[in-house]
Amino acid sequence: MRVLVVDDEPLARERLRRQLRDLPDLEVAGEAGNGAEALAAAERLRPDVVLLDIRMPGMDGLEAARHLALLETPPAVIFTTAYGEHALEAFDHHAVDYLLKPIRSERLAAALANCARVNRAQLSALSEIEGGTARSHLCARRHGDLVMVPIDEVIFFQADQKYVRVVYAQGELLLEESLKALHDEFGERFVRIHRNALIARQALRALVHEGGCLKVELEGSDERPEVSRRHAAALRALLRGGG
Amino acid sequence: MPTTFLPDFCGLRVVFAVVVIGEMLALMLSLAPAVGGDRWSDLGLVSLYVQWVALTGIGVLCFARRHLARLDDVPAATAAYLLLLGVILGVSLIALVLADLLGLDVLLPMGWRDGFVWRSLAIGAIAAAVSLRYFYVRHQWQRQVLAESRAHLEALQARIRPHFLFNSLNTAASLTRSRPEVAERTIEDLAELFRASLADPSSGVPLEVELELARSYLNIEQLRLGERLRIDWQVDEVEEECAMPALIVQPLLENAVYHGIEPRAEGGTIHVRGTRENDHYVLVMENPLPTQETTRSGGNRMALENIGARLEAFFGGDGLLETLRVEDRFRATLRLPMRGRA
Repeated sequence: MRVLVVDDEPLARERLRRQLRDLPDLEVAGEAGNGAEALAAAERLRPDVVLLDIRMPGMDGLEAARHLALLETPPAVIFTTAYGEHALEAFDHHAVDYLLKPIRSERLAAALANCARVNRAQLSALSEIEGGTARSHLCARRHGDLVMVPIDEVIFFQADQKYVRVVYAQGELLLEESLKALHDEFGERFVRIHRNALIARQALRALVHEGGCLKVELEGSDERPEVSRRHAAALRALLRGGG
Repeated sequence: MPTTFLPDFCGLRVVFAVVVIGEMLALMLSLAPAVGGDRWSDLGLVSLYVQWVALTGIGVLCFARRHLARLDDVPAATAAYLLLLGVILGVSLIALVLADLLGLDVLLPMGWRDGFVWRSLAIGAIAAAVSLRYFYVRHQWQRQVLAESRAHLEALQARIRPHFLFNSLNTAASLTRSRPEVAERTIEDLAELFRASLADPSSGVPLEVELELARSYLNIEQLRLGERLRIDWQVDEVEEECAMPALIVQPLLENAVYHGIEPRAEGGTIHVRGTRENDHYVLVMENPLPTQETTRSGGNRMALENIGARLEAFFGGDGLLETLRVEDRFRATLRLPMRGRA
């Protein structure tokens, strides 16, 4: 079994590495210091298991796990944490495996012996409980590769049947999520302009009439999504407010 | 804190309080419908008599206090009360005898003499009961205020984040095999931090000790975070005595690490500068803030308020802690009043 060790503290990684070396039939595939590095390493090294620290700078463990689940062959995930107070009850409740640092070798061996993949439902339930923090990146597969888009580069979301189109500075991406869930998660950053569209507040440039419809001009994109009458007043107020 | 409710009757403050109570009583008595004569001379005579009784009473209680203090509240109150009644009886009898035998009418006018002893006793009994009750209530009130401020102080007592504890233990566990002597030092540093956090919050520590503690803390974080944490420590030596509440600097640095360094993948530098400025020791701590909006939820403001409150409780002034956020940097400035060499 090949294991990827992810922790932002070098000494914590060193200890896990040594503990894994002493266990039979295990191989350390590699290590990473934060969520984004972990995703890249997982894609490259294709480990069977990821030992994932929850609190890390940039992208935290929970978010990394949500993105890992999108890989073609998602690895099993075991979370590690120093202290989690209430959050750990949530982990128990959703049957997600976790280890408390400093980790005992026996506990580590037991967890690795019956580790399982964490499914997406479990993960999104967890991130809601963990303070409900929004993701820092969106992630989807395109032509078999994992593409990550920082949330602050997104210009607008547009619902399109069972997908949501994400338009960002360098291109676009299809997400298998609902527009409502995205609005709930990133509500502060985005405004609804139509039943099927959310735009980034800071990308809003002007409202224009075009072919009898009200449309919105956006910074960084030539597309002009349609604005419904219901949301027009709120958008005008936003423009006046300098937002 | 004395356990008995009876105040220190030998002390100046209590003597003064008793004199004031006595004078108010005298004023009341001379304002009541008079038998005749001048109210001002009445007040003078009544005051003389009342203060005579009051000061004798307080003198007796001063002598008896050591014995009274050993009793419980109810027996002590009863004994003090009986002693006071005895004093009133004695003084009124002496006054009567002096007036009769020596004809000192100045001391006791003719109109007063009927039932003088009984009237004195009755008025004195009421006044003594009210006074003792006053001292009892005052004592209860003081005890409550003290208990409350102590509870408040304990609630404010610096707490070390559990996350830091377990991560540090993990660091020590990791070091035991690769670098045992560093592991040993880490555990010593941790022990020092926890000893300080468990100490009596009302007692202060010398500034040097507090700075050493802050250094121990940064040593641990340095091991934990590796090259992500850089420390620029330029702290002048403290030459004079300066006491301060314990664990003020460490939580400020913990904030700097927790909110400033840890959320940044690239890490950053914490600057610590300590200089003497006139009669203050000024400690400035500065850290970068995360670039992304991934500010860690919770507690920064509360922690800062807590530190401010503890400084205020210790030094009794405010403006000792200033925090400033300039763009992507955070700066905390601590001004500690120095006291001359003790």
